[in-house]
Amino acid sequence: MDMFYFIVQQSMVFMIPLMIVALGGMFSERSGIVNIALEGKMVMGAFVGVLFLNIFQNPENVSDQGILLLALLVAMLTGMLMALLHAFASINLKANQIISGIAINMFAPAFAIYTAVFYLDGQFVPFINQFRIASVPILGNIPVLGPMLFQRTYITTYLGFLILVISAIVLYKTKFGLRLRACGEYPQAADSVGVSVAKIRYAGVLISGALAGMGGLIWIVPISSRFGGSVAGYGFLALAVLIFGAWKPMRILFASFFFGILQTIANSFTAIPFLLNLGIPSAFYNMAPYIATLLLLAFTSKNTQAPKAVGQPYDKGMR
Amino acid sequence: MYIIEMLNITKEFPGIIANDDITLQLKKGEIHALLGENGAGKSTLMSVLFGLYTPEKGEILKNGEKIKITGPNDATRYGIGMVHQHFKLVHNFTVLENILLGVETTKFGLLSMVEARARVVELSKKYGLSVDPDALISNITVGMQQRVEILKMLYRENEILIFDEPTAVLTPQEIDELMKIMKDLIAEGKSILFITHKLDEIKRVADRCTVLRKGKLVGTVDVKTTDAEKMSEMMVGRKVNLVLDKPEVKLGGVALEVTNLTVKDKITGKNVVNNVSFKVYEREIVCIAGIDGNGQSELVYALTGLSPSTNGVIVMNGVNISDLSIRKRCLAGMGHIPEDRHKHGLVLDYNLAYNLILQSYFSPQFQKYDFLRFNEIYKNSDLLIDRYDIRSGQGGRTPARSMSGGNQQKTILARELSREPKLLVAVQPTRGLDVGAIEYIHSQLIIERAYGGVLLVSLELDEVMNVSDRILVMYEGEIVADVDPKKVTYTELGLYMSGAKRDKLKEESA
Amino acid sequence: MKRDSILSLISTLIVIIAGLLIGLIVLLVSDSNQAFPAFWTMISFGTRNMRNVGDVLLGATPIILTGLSVTFAFKTGLFNIGAAGQFAFGGFTAIYIGVQFLFLPPPLRIICSILGAALAGAVWGAIPGLLKAYRNVHEVITSIMTNYIGMYLLSYTIQNTIFDMGRTTTTRMPDDSNLPTLGLDYIFREPLGSGYRSSAVNLGIFIAILIAILVYVILDKTKFGYELKACGFNKDAAKYAGINQNKNIVFSMMICGAIAGIGGALNYMNGTGLSMTALPLLAMEGFTGISVAFLGLTNPIGVIFSGIFVSYLFLGGARMQPFGFSLELVNIVVAVIIYFCAFVLVVKTNIGKIFPKGKEGE
Repeated sequence: MDMFYFIVQQSMVFMIPLMIVALGGMFSERSGIVNIALEGKMVMGAFVGVLFLNIFQNPENVSDQGILLLALLVAMLTGMLMALLHAFASINLKANQIISGIAINMFAPAFAIYTAVFYLDGQFVPFINQFRIASVPILGNIPVLGPMLFQRTYITTYLGFLILVISAIVLYKTKFGLRLRACGEYPQAADSVGVSVAKIRYAGVLISGALAGMGGLIWIVPISSRFGGSVAGYGFLALAVLIFGAWKPMRILFASFFFGILQTIANSFTAIPFLLNLGIPSAFYNMAPYIATLLLLAFTSKNTQAPKAVGQPYDKGMR
Repeated sequence: MYIIEMLNITKEFPGIIANDDITLQLKKGEIHALLGENGAGKSTLMSVLFGLYTPEKGEILKNGEKIKITGPNDATRYGIGMVHQHFKLVHNFTVLENILLGVETTKFGLLSMVEARARVVELSKKYGLSVDPDALISNITVGMQQRVEILKMLYRENEILIFDEPTAVLTPQEIDELMKIMKDLIAEGKSILFITHKLDEIKRVADRCTVLRKGKLVGTVDVKTTDAEKMSEMMVGRKVNLVLDKPEVKLGGVALEVTNLTVKDKITGKNVVNNVSFKVYEREIVCIAGIDGNGQSELVYALTGLSPSTNGVIVMNGVNISDLSIRKRCLAGMGHIPEDRHKHGLVLDYNLAYNLILQSYFSPQFQKYDFLRFNEIYKNSDLLIDRYDIRSGQGGRTPARSMSGGNQQKTILARELSREPKLLVAVQPTRGLDVGAIEYIHSQLIIERAYGGVLLVSLELDEVMNVSDRILVMYEGEIVADVDPKKVTYTELGLYMSGAKRDKLKEESA
Repeated sequence: MKRDSILSLISTLIVIIAGLLIGLIVLLVSDSNQAFPAFWTMISFGTRNMRNVGDVLLGATPIILTGLSVTFAFKTGLFNIGAAGQFAFGGFTAIYIGVQFLFLPPPLRIICSILGAALAGAVWGAIPGLLKAYRNVHEVITSIMTNYIGMYLLSYTIQNTIFDMGRTTTTRMPDDSNLPTLGLDYIFREPLGSGYRSSAVNLGIFIAILIAILVYVILDKTKFGYELKACGFNKDAAKYAGINQNKNIVFSMMICGAIAGIGGALNYMNGTGLSMTALPLLAMEGFTGISVAFLGLTNPIGVIFSGIFVSYLFLGGARMQPFGFSLELVNIVVAVIIYFCAFVLVVKTNIGKIFPKGKEGE
């Protein structure tokens, strides 16, 4: 049973950032803008967030959750700044959305490492990682659910679920969500009733930037005590989760949980006696999430429908 | 009293004056027709009215007062609404969501549609616009989608309603219904601007008619006292020869024989083409009539090989082509003028000469040892440009994208006809073209008839009646009538098209 | 036509200058005292002597090829973000043959290395191609996945085949498995003490240029190119014309893979003793190729020049370390340039407005 709890707890660590970033991607793509730049936005969010911790973290009070929340806010703003660049290129200038995304993906790690090397004389930015909550008061004592969700956990886990719920409500139950979906499916319809496609798309891309930036920091906090300019392809994996999740919040939840488990197995199969005894080299566990993605996409993609207008710059003159 | 006046509007684009000093005055409570060919400047004028373009000169008045419109929101504020030719509906939204988009009602920040829903139901009852508010747009008919568009305007309490070519997609019966709805709307105090190029419809409902030609105002006339020929002449600028010069010919052998052809839809599993059998003879133009979406496109895809058929046999010129590839069908003598010239017909980023060899680039004429023979390619384009009167700025090197719709269509026509196909499948070959181009294409189809059979798919009943030697009507994937255009009436065709009537012969043989 | 290429050239230059300026600003913000000497080093080092010029060409070789790979894909309507994986597979195969196939005479072994690399790259490129053609999965997402799968797979394979434990890389190839220098070492060298120190530039740069010309000819002059581009511009029209687009997608991705694979081979067969790492790392040359392709305006001949330019920046950028700046600045500059390239069309139209058509001679 301890093994089971361990896997669930670990899976959360990988799943939450994936889910948040994929939800970010969802807002962008459902407004009609391809977002291959999630990776770059994660890197920037993580970098600036960790830098913030590095500078402002008080060694006397290192387990302070308040500073973590502030750092998350900083990461969000950073992600939004990067998103602004992407939005400007794709919406105002109607540029190729993949190319500008690639530029951001290239810029982010370069900027992070350049700055770290210059100011800290090394590629890595350290921070003090004391944010783990051993057990949430009261809730942690609930049998089964307690160890699964409320022990050895992070505040970011609950933040992630909160974001999921809010995202679902915003997308399906609000005026903004309705307009956002219209812009991603058939922007001409939105435009003809006076909805500004450009504004809605800006909003979609900015939300994606905020969530991706935040997701970057959420990814690094539980697994390390320093950041080295890379999020190990999680931004791309989030993109796969988004597609596998069919651009829908609840399916994104399941997709990210699935990847979370695979990633946990890949990272800690040595701690799981059964898997260790199989004698499969670690490289194959590492490959598993990517191979699984490939297979899943190959078998599900024919049935899932991307937002119709995604990737197409909206030109008012076109009818 | 005029409710909306557009006075002396001039709008220029680089190299072209789209609207040259145009004045249009809409009286309160009238149906005012705006008549003009494609490219006459109707869309530009409407875009000016909706604030999408700012005119260089001119002003817009409402009830005699000058107003400024800078976007669709302003237009809505002044009570102006429009049913666009291509509906502005989100396919995976419900009817209600589409109506509310842009004017959503919320409670505590969340969408609240209860009251809105009641109002939509009430409006649809009042005007006889029956439609299910919770149905998805993708699941309802084109006629119903149009009602949604009308409801959108009514929900916004628009008083000036603009209909842009609203009858193009409807059956004669649906058109009757629309005309009635338009009259009801007038009775409720609305004013209607009716954009069209169909004179009989103007005659039926409109009070006055403003005619545009090549960006200029020709005049505004009273419909009752002006005959259709006069209006037609105003629109085209010359007398239009409505009757095609079509010599009688003797039918030849069978050019195409289709037996029990069935096409199953991949997603729904429904038979979109259901057990269809027919023949086309040499020197015959057979026209497939029907409302859009009754299996015509799928039938053509199956005939030309663009998508596979589920069942049945297709024999062209004595060769069974049912399982042949697109390329092999083409080489066996099939020509195809596709429905969507931008999607299938042309590679817009290629130049004119490259587009003219799209079906023959691999022939020894145009390549040697796999290298393209540029001299031959451009010689070919010079020849066809001359023979088919294709107007282009830089000859064979003109980018296809920069050409006008009519000339793009002529390019496709030239490419397909110059191969002298044994069977030509032409799908809506005149869509969106002006009268001159339409006349030209019709005359070319009749010339082509000399080489082989022609299968023409058309949604325009005038075209169906004028050009064809025989009419097949498709309804819900089946051929429900096989009639002679000389012996059938528009009303009868309408009944076949809407499934209200079936050819007796067909039923017996089925 | 001529006017168009002049506009392309001007807009590319503007974009490059803008990128460099932003790089300079970043340097100035970091350390205003060292910024100018460091910047000057970056933009001048590549031409300080003939050996450096040779090194620029040497560094340009692999990225010209990955750039061509991306270009070829782009012209046929595909986005090859998988060049990194194809490059790595090609590199590994070339090294493997160079190390293990000692029974072959050197010239034959070198040819085998290159062909093997092309084949390996083609196989790895075929996967996204097949998935795109027959399963309708976007090639960008599958290429990302194959990049990571390839990364772990190669790391594992190296550790179990031609592994140099001490350096955690592949074993070093014998010298005669490397590409011949063809006497280039006599041209591209600098005096050092009593003798000379030569650049390792070799046959590879000629192979790269040859392949660029080949790509140009295939795309613009052949029936095959006509079909591929038709698929790229409008796949529905291509289908209507009877072109088998699925086959073309797979062919196209295989050719891209082969080109990137050869890039991998040339990268490691240069006699500098460069080996392939056994750590799971993505080959950066693959991503640099994307930059090179767009900076070259996805024109095969343009890619030769943009590859040389990017290599030039990297060579100079590495020399900024003594001033306290890391090589990453070059990546920042290149990223900025790519960002601007994304809307180079906008730049072009605006230049067109400033210099209207009439002014330019025939």
